[in-house]
Amino acid sequence: MMMLFAGGVLFAYAGMLALCQGLERHYKQVWNRTCPPAVRRVLRAAGWLALLLSLVLCAQAWGWAMGPVAWFAVMSLAGLVLVMLLPYWPRLAVGLVGLLPAWGGLQVFA
Amino acid sequence: MKNTFTQSMAWLHTWGGLVFGWLLFAIFVTGTLAVFDKELNHWMQPEIPASGVSQADAARRAIGYLQTHEAQAGNWGVSLPTERSPGLRVSTGDRRHGTAVHLDPHSGEAIDVRDSVGGNFFFRFHFTLDLPRNWGIFVVGALALVMLAALVTGIVIHKKLFKEFFTFRPNKGQRSWLDFHNASAVLLLPFHLMITYTGLVIFMLIYIPAGVDALFAGDNRAYFQAQGNGRLEQPRGQARQPGQLTDVVPLLAQAEAALGPISGFNIRNPNTAGARIEIRPELGNRIALSKGQAMVFDGVSGKLLSDVTEWRAAPLTQRVMVGLHFAQFGGYPMRWLYFVCGAISCVMIASGLVLFCVKRGRKYATASADASARRWYRVAEVCNIGFVAGLLLACVGLLWASRLLPVELAHREGWEVRAFFGVWLLALLHAGIRPARRAWVEQLGLTALLCVGLGVFGGLADGLRQGVVACAGVLGVLLGMVAWRVQHAAPAPLKGRAGRSVEAGA
Amino acid sequence: MIQAPAWLQILSRSSAALLGGYALSYAASACLARLLPLPPADAVIVATLPAFVFYTAAILWAFASRDAWRAWAPLAAAVPLALVGFWPQALEWLA
Repeated sequence: MMMLFAGGVLFAYAGMLALCQGLERHYKQVWNRTCPPAVRRVLRAAGWLALLLSLVLCAQAWGWAMGPVAWFAVMSLAGLVLVMLLPYWPRLAVGLVGLLPAWGGLQVFA
Repeated sequence: MKNTFTQSMAWLHTWGGLVFGWLLFAIFVTGTLAVFDKELNHWMQPEIPASGVSQADAARRAIGYLQTHEAQAGNWGVSLPTERSPGLRVSTGDRRHGTAVHLDPHSGEAIDVRDSVGGNFFFRFHFTLDLPRNWGIFVVGALALVMLAALVTGIVIHKKLFKEFFTFRPNKGQRSWLDFHNASAVLLLPFHLMITYTGLVIFMLIYIPAGVDALFAGDNRAYFQAQGNGRLEQPRGQARQPGQLTDVVPLLAQAEAALGPISGFNIRNPNTAGARIEIRPELGNRIALSKGQAMVFDGVSGKLLSDVTEWRAAPLTQRVMVGLHFAQFGGYPMRWLYFVCGAISCVMIASGLVLFCVKRGRKYATASADASARRWYRVAEVCNIGFVAGLLLACVGLLWASRLLPVELAHREGWEVRAFFGVWLLALLHAGIRPARRAWVEQLGLTALLCVGLGVFGGLADGLRQGVVACAGVLGVLLGMVAWRVQHAAPAPLKGRAGRSVEAGA
Repeated sequence: MIQAPAWLQILSRSSAALLGGYALSYAASACLARLLPLPPADAVIVATLPAFVFYTAAILWAFASRDAWRAWAPLAAAVPLALVGFWPQALEWLA
């Protein structure tokens, strides 16, 4: 259950990060250059997809009644963590998404 | 009220938020603490042993105790050890008003446990502000309505809700406070709206009895009956004849198979032919609040007399909404999600209160400002400190009082409550006499110290108590960091007369 | 036209919000309860659940309306709604 919960959290964070980076001002905040429109579209699509996957994982952890409740909370909190990290440690805020493949590895191999 | 719609809404949000925000902060803090009310109960009564006993054994020992000491009582109540509440309690008489005796689950003997309001105090304060129950429910309901209006007006006036969704610019004074207030509010908007509206739904028929007035001529009992809550016939005649009580344990197993984990049971008319055993599920096996549900068995034959029925769509909807507020479902991970979301909503409210003063500090804190405005600004400033930092101090103060007050003190619970309000009052007075910045630092710092210091009381034999102390420790560290930040923040520069820079703040 | 002093305006609009809002929510719930094609016990619940949406709307209206008189519009709106909600009782009272 905790692994599914963790996965839900990480996908929510990744989704929020992607949607955030899809916005001009925040892309510039991290990378100090403008964002090509194609990249922006990919980021937004990836962001929504990640949020959807987060919902699925929360539902796996709690069932489809309680899962969506947890999903809203997880999205909100992940978004807040991102917003607090971004101005202080922008590269770290982005780098945290690396926990997602690590989680994926654990799921597959452990 | 003002020239444009947005301006009127901004006015409403600002002044409604300020005046009612002080009490709303208290409601949100105590509500957040109430998420762990049972864990706090357990910590505040260290005499309760950590269990390890099965519910079946505990039930047998409880009934053994009751047979020995209360064989003639009309009603036995037993609260079984559960994951969150490891104690074993027995009582006679009405559930809400009967006194409970704590038993050692291993021996079945009565143990002396200090009287304490427990974490239940925060739960009760949350929906009554410690006023008499019916008054308190209305006052808190009105405040919840103001909160709803504050949320909606906040959305209306936040013109760049999507553009600034992820925006937070620290170290820019007023701009940062507004950014944080917006971020914490917008990102957690689903939580804020949900918790506020569901809070109102809990007592909605007390607030707006229109439906019952129109369709049932105001007759509440008729309304409850119409919902299908017909009570089982009470066996008056049989209750006078003696009877042999059946073994409860297999009935507990049967109930658990149907309802999920069990929290306790009642035996009406024990040791008579009319004995009835009502078994209650733990709240939280589903979102919908199952308060009041029970499986009823015949106390002599063990036959199932009344099963829990599935609710129809309308009452189910209400119970789900109430359940979303009560947050008893989903296990500890969900409970922690609610706790963190609740804590952030408290910070959201506090940031709004602080923003009010930060925004107007320049205008009203200097000697050149209008004297009456300066006085009101000072009132707002003092209330901010007293109702935010002061309330937090009072909460941890209650925990300290529960351990410091003598165990044998008469009316101990009353003294604990007095300690809570006493600390709060002192904090307000302290805020009145100290310069604002120092008052913040001193109160937040002391709260942090007391939170971190909870461990000195020991009694950390089990996970629940360790969890309470650890969580308090983390909160203490965070509050300490805030206090440190406030102390070392550069005072906002002022432009005095003739363009000279003057520093504001103490 | 002479503007009423600020505190009076605030008091008036706050009263309109509190009382007019209550009247509107109460009447709307009664009206809904009467009109919904559900068993009475269910109708009571479904009619009361949205009450606080109406109340909040009335509060916002009370402060957004162009003048303090219009702020009381929710109270006026409550009258026909209450009539619908309580028409059996109204008929009885008239008879």
